[in-house]
Amino acid sequence: MKTLEEVLVDWEAVIGLEVHTELTTLQTKMFCNCKLSHDDEPNANVCPVCLGLPGALPVPNEEAIRSIVMAGLATNCDIMPRSMFYRKHYFYPDMAKNFQTTQGPVAFCMHGHLDLEVVGQGAAERPDASIDKKDDGSYVTPVRILRIHMEEDAAKMVHVGGKEGRIGGAAESFVDYNRCGTPLIELVTEPDLRTPEEARLFMEKLRETFLALGISDCSMEKGSMRCDGNVSLRRRGAQEFGTKTEMKNINSFKNLHDALEYEICRQAEVLEEGGVVQQETRHFEPSKRRTMVMRVKETADDYRLFPDPDLAPFDLSDEFVEECRARIPELPDAKRERYMNDLGIKSSDAALLAGTPATAALFEEAVAVTDGKHAPVIANVMVNLLPGYSCSAAQIAALAGLLAEDAITSAQAREVLELVSGSDADPVAVVDERGMRQTTDTSTLEPIVDAVLARCGEQVQQYRDGNKKVLGFLVGQCMKEAQGSGNPKLFNQLLASKLN
Amino acid sequence: MAWLDELSAGDIAAGVAAGDFSAVEVTQASLSAIDARDGEIAALIESCPELALDYARRIDERKAQGQELGCLAGVPVSFKDNMQLIGTHTTCASRMLEGYESVYTATCVQRMLDAGAIPVAKANMDEFAFGSSTETSAFHPTRNPWDTERVPGGSSGGSAVSVAAGEVTLSLGSDTGGSIRQPASFCGVVGLKPSYGAVSRYGVVAFGSSLDQVGPLGRSVSDVVLAMQALTQAGRDRLDSTSQDCQSDFCGTLNQGVAGGRVGVMRELIEAEGLSDEVRDGLKRSIATFESAGAEIVDVELEHLTSAIAAYYVIGPAEAFSNLARFDGVRYGYQEPDCETLAEQTAKSRAHGFGIEAKRRQMLGAYLLASGVYDKYYYPAQKLRTLITDDYNKAYERCDVILLPVAPTCAWKLGEITNARQMYLSDMFTISNNIAGNCGISVPVGLGSASGMPLAAQLQGPAFGDATLLRYAHALESEVGALGVAPAFFGKGGEL
Repeated sequence: MKTLEEVLVDWEAVIGLEVHTELTTLQTKMFCNCKLSHDDEPNANVCPVCLGLPGALPVPNEEAIRSIVMAGLATNCDIMPRSMFYRKHYFYPDMAKNFQTTQGPVAFCMHGHLDLEVVGQGAAERPDASIDKKDDGSYVTPVRILRIHMEEDAAKMVHVGGKEGRIGGAAESFVDYNRCGTPLIELVTEPDLRTPEEARLFMEKLRETFLALGISDCSMEKGSMRCDGNVSLRRRGAQEFGTKTEMKNINSFKNLHDALEYEICRQAEVLEEGGVVQQETRHFEPSKRRTMVMRVKETADDYRLFPDPDLAPFDLSDEFVEECRARIPELPDAKRERYMNDLGIKSSDAALLAGTPATAALFEEAVAVTDGKHAPVIANVMVNLLPGYSCSAAQIAALAGLLAEDAITSAQAREVLELVSGSDADPVAVVDERGMRQTTDTSTLEPIVDAVLARCGEQVQQYRDGNKKVLGFLVGQCMKEAQGSGNPKLFNQLLASKLN
Repeated sequence: MAWLDELSAGDIAAGVAAGDFSAVEVTQASLSAIDARDGEIAALIESCPELALDYARRIDERKAQGQELGCLAGVPVSFKDNMQLIGTHTTCASRMLEGYESVYTATCVQRMLDAGAIPVAKANMDEFAFGSSTETSAFHPTRNPWDTERVPGGSSGGSAVSVAAGEVTLSLGSDTGGSIRQPASFCGVVGLKPSYGAVSRYGVVAFGSSLDQVGPLGRSVSDVVLAMQALTQAGRDRLDSTSQDCQSDFCGTLNQGVAGGRVGVMRELIEAEGLSDEVRDGLKRSIATFESAGAEIVDVELEHLTSAIAAYYVIGPAEAFSNLARFDGVRYGYQEPDCETLAEQTAKSRAHGFGIEAKRRQMLGAYLLASGVYDKYYYPAQKLRTLITDDYNKAYERCDVILLPVAPTCAWKLGEITNARQMYLSDMFTISNNIAGNCGISVPVGLGSASGMPLAAQLQGPAFGDATLLRYAHALESEVGALGVAPAFFGKGGEL
């Protein structure tokens, strides 16, 4: 098989995503008052409504409607003034009523978009000729969102004694209705994505956005965020779409990227050998990094969709929508911009900090402790040193303060982190107790510099002959002389001024 | 010493409150009437003496403690067997749910119990409410107490008969296309289909969710009014998102008369060929009664009335298909034994659990909702629904209520109508009311001179005009007179 890079020279990949997100932060299910929790004993959180018992009726969870409206606003969707629930019929025990309550042609949120900024190596996946790129190779591309609709999740089934956990041939099948009726939002993109990296970035951005909104824990691992990817190929310059295949239930960003990459290469091989791509659903096997056929769709299923007569149409008032808008916190893009423009944080650090609500909150708290001083140093500590340690905002601020005034080196900062992580110890006290503080008093350092310069005549000569690298050796000698307590930056300055 | 047959719901509640008799005594009278009478008419699927006496004792305890009693204290009631009531089975008269124990109680039932009503029995019905004669019950047909060779109407036939034969004082039925009003008319009792949303549907096994409405049947308008009071006074039910507030001083306005009011009629409809002479005479008598009571008779037109039946047989089966999809034999209900696969078990459980009419409606619904077919039928039916509602709204600008037949004839003989389409057409005067979500009531207007069977007039009113509708019904009843318990059963058991 050709590599992705080779394939994308001649072929254009057309990718669309369907993303299911469980609204895990809600207290109750979509249409009843059952507790929303998948971790309890099987079938602990059930009632006549989510069990579909005869006579039971659904009552919509207004908080779930708020959540989806917030998701729509955050992804630049139009919020429809009137939308309805529909029933989608199929016979399977994971849906107690044998129909799923979902939405019809008009979803709560329609026609949105997210802009993707593709940078670094990932940007190289897209051939330069197909898009305007900046000098550093990065580019920005808009991704349209067709709709976001609301639906209920199905129950969880476990099949024992059959092949591959399927119901066919299973000795026993178990159904856990705790998940049945969980509020779920499904976002469908237009087929605007062109590379696996763009697909991965879209998912990452969506996750960051939903996390910031606080509507879900967005765990692909636990299945609270699930993604299906559609991909087809067409010759560069062609207008018509090729036949697409669908990849189901991909459970990590990396797998999404890898599944699409494999599938694009596989389809290219089929097409280049004169074959035909079958419209089918495929399953990604992460260990083998390949996709396998799950089922071939010969005829379209007939779900007999029709408006749910138990649920009146939803008329969303302007006030309701504005109330939802007011609840939307600062989103990652805006946060990143602010970190860069107001706090002077470099772009890559700003993106990392802004991406996760908890990290952003910790960062901002630490910045507040120092009254806005040393924000770039705080960012640096959080991005480069902190991972793996657990510190409070005050500890981070103190550590950044020490670094900013050159009282400790980066290597020492790591040592300090090791000592204060998980405790409430004050980094300043730790540094002082252990005598780690770097001497910044030039009157103490100057004699050391003089002594080293006197001792290392050979190197001094080399420096003057143009070998500037030798300065590092001299700094090292000074540090040695000062037994680690001298500030390397200061030594550097003193040496340079004396040598010049 | 009294006969249960002679007491109204109001009499019973007042008697229990005054200590003239206890709720247990009333309940025992009802149970003895059931013992003596139900063998002949088979109105009930299940009676629940222990549950009933339990509730009765609680009323008597409240009385002994000097606590306030509800407006239906001690009144024996039957519930159509599509209503969930803990302590009873809820079968919908289907093999599919034979032996199914209720695990919760429907809101409408609970509100009757909260008002002091005594649950004595679950009433027979057409299977899943599909039918107009109670002959599609999987268990047994029910017989008309005025002539046991005749059908009681349906689908709430058991409810109507249990009231008409004096087994109970009130019953709750459900009406999707006439299923309260038509059996009430056949059995000579009052049957109210309230406005859509007035009474909660929570816990009532759904047939057509956008058409179904629960309502009371009683031997007088004032008994039905008491039940409405009990059903609506707590306001809308938060468990049914289509329910609405419908509180009203039903009792207070009941006697205000109809002088100066306007009754709409469609004269060509009254003269139409399909109506029996008896039914036509009953309607003319009603018109004369309203005129003499001081109401003005105005001509109204409902242009799309005859198309309502077409819309109904699209919307009803479509919703029924969807609502009955849950009966698959997996977790409850009839389960076919010895199946190899889930698909086989589902198919066979449904094939053998449902009767012919239930299958016919579901197959029709599955067809109507199929892609490609949906646009041809379901969508036009919804448009027709809007037109019918508009017709009514226009008509109600000219009148307070509209007078119509309930059914074209009085009760027919058991087994007389076997053609499904002919059976469907017998509902043509009741269906449009469900399509529009309005209220309607069947009021007895005497016995047929030829048949000797009860005749009735139907009054329809606009959505949430229930109190006005009841006032007109009361005015009509006051002049014509209620029929009371069917004579052949009067006084058989039921001594108090």
